[in-house]
Amino acid sequence: MQNRFSKKLKIAIYDFTDCEGCEVKLVSIKERLVHLADRFNIVNWRLGQEKIKDGPYAAAIIEGTPVTQDEIDLLRELREKSKLIISLGACASIAGIPGIMNKSERKKWYAKIYGANYKPKGIDALPLSAYVKVNHMIHGCPVDEDELVRTLEELLSGKTPRYRRYSVCLECKLAGNQCRLLHKKICFGPITQGGCKAICISGGSPCYGCFGVREEANIPALVKILRRFASEKEINNHVTMFFNQIPEYKNVFKQALKNYKK
Amino acid sequence: MTTAPLQINLNGFLNELKKKFVVIDCRKNILAPKQYLFPAQETAFNFDIKKSRLKTLPPIKPFILFGLPLRDLEAITRLDEIMSRPNKNYYYFRRRSKTTIIGLTDEQFNIPPGGDLILQKLSPKDFAVMPVTAKGTVLIKKMALARPSKNIPASQYAENKTMPKLRLLLQDAEMLKDAVAWSWKNYPQIWDELAKICLGCGICAYVCPLCHCFSTEDSMDIAGKSCKRCQNWAACTLPEFSRVAGGHNFHKTLKERYYNWFYHKFARSYEEFGEPQCVACGRCQAACPARIDIEKILINITQKYKIANRA
Ligand code: SF4
Ligand code: SF4
Ligand code: SF4
Ligand code: SF4
Ligand code: SF4
Repeated sequence: MQNRFSKKLKIAIYDFTDCEGCEVKLVSIKERLVHLADRFNIVNWRLGQEKIKDGPYAAAIIEGTPVTQDEIDLLRELREKSKLIISLGACASIAGIPGIMNKSERKKWYAKIYGANYKPKGIDALPLSAYVKVNHMIHGCPVDEDELVRTLEELLSGKTPRYRRYSVCLECKLAGNQCRLLHKKICFGPITQGGCKAICISGGSPCYGCFGVREEANIPALVKILRRFASEKEINNHVTMFFNQIPEYKNVFKQALKNYKK
Repeated sequence: MTTAPLQINLNGFLNELKKKFVVIDCRKNILAPKQYLFPAQETAFNFDIKKSRLKTLPPIKPFILFGLPLRDLEAITRLDEIMSRPNKNYYYFRRRSKTTIIGLTDEQFNIPPGGDLILQKLSPKDFAVMPVTAKGTVLIKKMALARPSKNIPASQYAENKTMPKLRLLLQDAEMLKDAVAWSWKNYPQIWDELAKICLGCGICAYVCPLCHCFSTEDSMDIAGKSCKRCQNWAACTLPEFSRVAGGHNFHKTLKERYYNWFYHKFARSYEEFGEPQCVACGRCQAACPARIDIEKILINITQKYKIANRA
């Protein structure tokens, strides 16, 4: 691993299908980005400089969800060429908003908009980890600047980047918020990884879990609390915003909803 | 203290206090006042790599914590003790030594449980001023508002309605210790049940005036010029808590981790300090998203314990 005396790490930055919001966050760290550009060898970044370099890469940082065969092929190629694959933001990490897509609904709309003979190129929006091994996920929709910088700094220091192992609830309490769950309002904060500073709750919205599921989260316990005041449908509408395509939802959350008894 | 009883008008007093000092009014906080003495994130040091030297931490300016109920005063007295062992916690006392604590109560008490000054309710607006420490006496002397009591008859003192049964249990700390320690092997059903409903979110430890666990995080600044060590609040219900270098985790399941919260507060703490680490402030009960109530749990456990151990 690199230390401050050795050669700069070569980092490739790519984006698949998404809104580019996380890359905008990367740009918005301003002078900190200048330091990053100085200490890393950043290549292949469409929004940054047009320095095109082939691998191997110390890390490929990838934003967005692969939804075409070309993107999936590129992802597999990047996996071959990179020591680490790091996902940037909820789309790449947990499929996020693109993952809401519902196949049967989509068929209906395709037929309506493009006619019955249209052959769609798009594939289900799945997280990067559905195709390749992902070494680390930088969570958030969009990512939090400080968490982004922390991850990159840990790479520079030769560490394996770490996850936040506490719930959004810590930052929610530090922000002085009343607990939504205690007021019979939906919130996924307790099962969600911290790091976002609980901005949604402070702004009056639920935590939708865009930072991904926290390690060893007690999902059935949260489902039990939610079901006391919210219907299965209502909970599903909220939870599928970000969790639609992750195994924790498909295997644990859904099951807990099904198993719920008053 | 033998000084003549003083009496103030609460709002007038607070306004003058704010003009003269940095005052943190704690009355509406969700978090316990420990947050100002043991903040959620504390920079332990900052190291300048180029100069190979520690940067000095910014000095702490004196401040007043205002409006603490009696149980919070008691909690800080305990926290002072916890933070003194085995060695004085430098970071805690760096702040603590600059703090003046003003209690506020409508309850009756014999011995002040802590703080530097206690304001005790006489009527809705008038409060008797009771200096507890030399710091409190000095503060009163700096205030123009303090005036001798006109001897307004004291109103009926209020009763504290927060966790009264837990408060009683705490008085029998030894039994409480035995019951909690007993429950792990002899009454595992309760811990199985709790592990099903506890979210493991850690809020109970964050809001508790006596929980004092932290984890250490080292980081380098992005320019690569300095590195920093931070101490961050931790909670024993979180999986990271008991993990040690190498990835081994001493408390593997949420059941074990949640039990540890009780074990530390009511058993280990009794062994170490002769007292449980709880003052029945009610915060963990009020803030738990799963509505877990430690008062009910402890009543349940002690009842079962007493029945099982009736000779
Ligand atoms: S509002 Fe949500 S994030 Fe905040 S404490 Fe309650 S459950 Fe946790
Ligand atoms: S509060 Fe929840 S949804 Fe909002 S940014 Fe944080 S993790 Fe994402
Ligand atoms: S606040 Fe409640 S749900 Fe959260 S860890 Fe504590 S007991 Fe469990
Ligand atoms: S009642 Fe709960 S929050 Fe208050 S001191 Fe006891 S354990 Fe801590
Ligand atoms: S109860 Fe848990 S969080 Fe609180 S001080 Fe003890 S070990 Fe730490």
